[in-house]
Amino acid sequence: MLLLAFALAYLGMTLLCLTMNRHRGALLRADTRLPGPAIIRSLAVGCFGFALWLGVNSQGGEIGTVIWLCLVMLSGLLLVLLLAWRSRWVLPAVPLLAACGVVQTVL
Amino acid sequence: MKLRQSMAGLHTWGGLLPSWLLFVIIFAGTVACFDKELTRWMRPALHDGVVSSLGADDVRGWLQQNVSDELHAFWMHGPTEREPYWRLGWEVDATKTIHNIAFDPRSAQAEPMPETLGGEFFFKLHYNLHAGDIGMYIVGLAGMFMLVALVSGVIIHRRIFKDFFTLRPKANGQRAWLDAHNLFGVVGFPFHLVLAYTGVAIFVASYMPAAAQVSYSGNVMQYFGEVMGSFEREEVGQPPPAPVSLDALIAESRQQWGGGEAGWVSVHHPDDASAVVDVRRRDRSRIGSPQDTLSYDAGTGELLNRQDASTGYRAYLWLAGLHMAQFGGTLVRLLYLLMGLAGCAMLVGGLQVWLAKREQRGDRSVIWVRALNASVFAGLPLASLALLWGNRLIPATFAERAVAEGWVFVGAWLLAVLWAVLRRHQSRRLLREQLLLGAVLALGLPIINALTTDGHLIASLGRGDWALASVDLFMIVAGLVCAACAWRLNATPAAAAVRGRSTRVQEA
Repeated sequence: MLLLAFALAYLGMTLLCLTMNRHRGALLRADTRLPGPAIIRSLAVGCFGFALWLGVNSQGGEIGTVIWLCLVMLSGLLLVLLLAWRSRWVLPAVPLLAACGVVQTVL
Repeated sequence: MKLRQSMAGLHTWGGLLPSWLLFVIIFAGTVACFDKELTRWMRPALHDGVVSSLGADDVRGWLQQNVSDELHAFWMHGPTEREPYWRLGWEVDATKTIHNIAFDPRSAQAEPMPETLGGEFFFKLHYNLHAGDIGMYIVGLAGMFMLVALVSGVIIHRRIFKDFFTLRPKANGQRAWLDAHNLFGVVGFPFHLVLAYTGVAIFVASYMPAAAQVSYSGNVMQYFGEVMGSFEREEVGQPPPAPVSLDALIAESRQQWGGGEAGWVSVHHPDDASAVVDVRRRDRSRIGSPQDTLSYDAGTGELLNRQDASTGYRAYLWLAGLHMAQFGGTLVRLLYLLMGLAGCAMLVGGLQVWLAKREQRGDRSVIWVRALNASVFAGLPLASLALLWGNRLIPATFAERAVAEGWVFVGAWLLAVLWAVLRRHQSRRLLREQLLLGAVLALGLPIINALTTDGHLIASLGRGDWALASVDLFMIVAGLVCAACAWRLNATPAAAAVRGRSTRVQEA
């Protein structure tokens, strides 16, 4: 469940990143259409919120929140490191992490 | 605008000067996330994962037979999942000397294990640099400087959100390092801020003693006693009656807590009729552990007091608990470890920005700063690896074994400093050689562990003993990373040299 929370936090970070022109060019083709930044940002907030819910659900309010905050920070670090050295892996990492998270949650 | 400029100076110098000290503190704290696993690795008697079958009375029996001094107090902790053995400590009356030992879990009788510094060495290095109260004040001061640097860093960073995801490793030196410094500082900001704040808050009563000193007319112990709601009894100067069984008191306490686990068990002035047994509750499911200590008369076993901590103290414990990461199991410790490494990276990045700026101006004195960097940023990890080598190579029968391990650490660090000073003109070559040495030391540790004990990696993995295997695995990963970095550094000297020359040409 916590891997899924990490995947969601990573997705949220990626969405925030896509609202910035500088990074959008590196991740998507120029002709890709995206919804407006306000929508993407609210989706990102939704991802973070859902990740928090997962953390609180599995570890309780106190500890779940601490773990969630650490996961959000680490997902940001992972995203930036990938952007800098392996930008082609940034988008495929989203479904990969999500799949791992789902497998971990189900098992 | 003026505020930003003045904050920039504060951030540069207030951050730079304590940064080497902060690196020592943060690195040691990061390692201390897994201090108990490290202790297990450093004690071969714990490698096969046997849980001690001794009881609290056996441990007290050992103390009565082997220690003849009059004791102010003694305390003990039973086996837990991470520490499957009994620990015992005692303080000799009127001397303040404290002794600590740990008992071999494989033995049916209480039998001490060979001494070692254990992972606690890093914990102590983290909070007082092994320098007692003075060290604690120095660490506190460094922590306060870290808070100042964090806040002033936010003020001077104009593009926090715009540059949030920006890292340009191919840019020129200063730009790339500034990106890295910003990345680890900004993305890890909540962690650094909370840990710096709670770290300083743990010793707040020592850093800001005035109020307690005045209100309690200098009797600080009374202040602590009242705040914690703990129980004290004056000595009466009479010989004690035969003591009741400690195991029975622990069992009774567990019943009182409805099955809760017991942690530390301590006995105050055991050689007096007023002796008191405190049984403390251990609960790892919360950030602030519950202060539910039960105090018994050591002679009759009568329940004297149930601790009732004040709300303020509970809030304090919550802050301290958030810092110490004893909740939430391995996952939380792993997350703290990764964020701690991010903190180290932030410090290194910040210093590299400072250096790159001055190097472009052609400042000669930066050579010495580079030497200092090399002796701390590389010297401390190298000395820590040397400590683990010393732990494996010093024979178990050696007297004062823990002290010898400490000297291995200090000696290795001094050698690293000497090396960095001698090679100060060739910082790149020095770094490559340090990385190679680090790789050799780290990769050698699992091998030397396998040669000297039965707890080698294959055995511990075969048992599914991840706590023990994780130390060996971490060393292998760290060694491979060091080797890869050294190899990369070797492969790209020409490009870097050209880049260095071209920037100098631009300057000219």
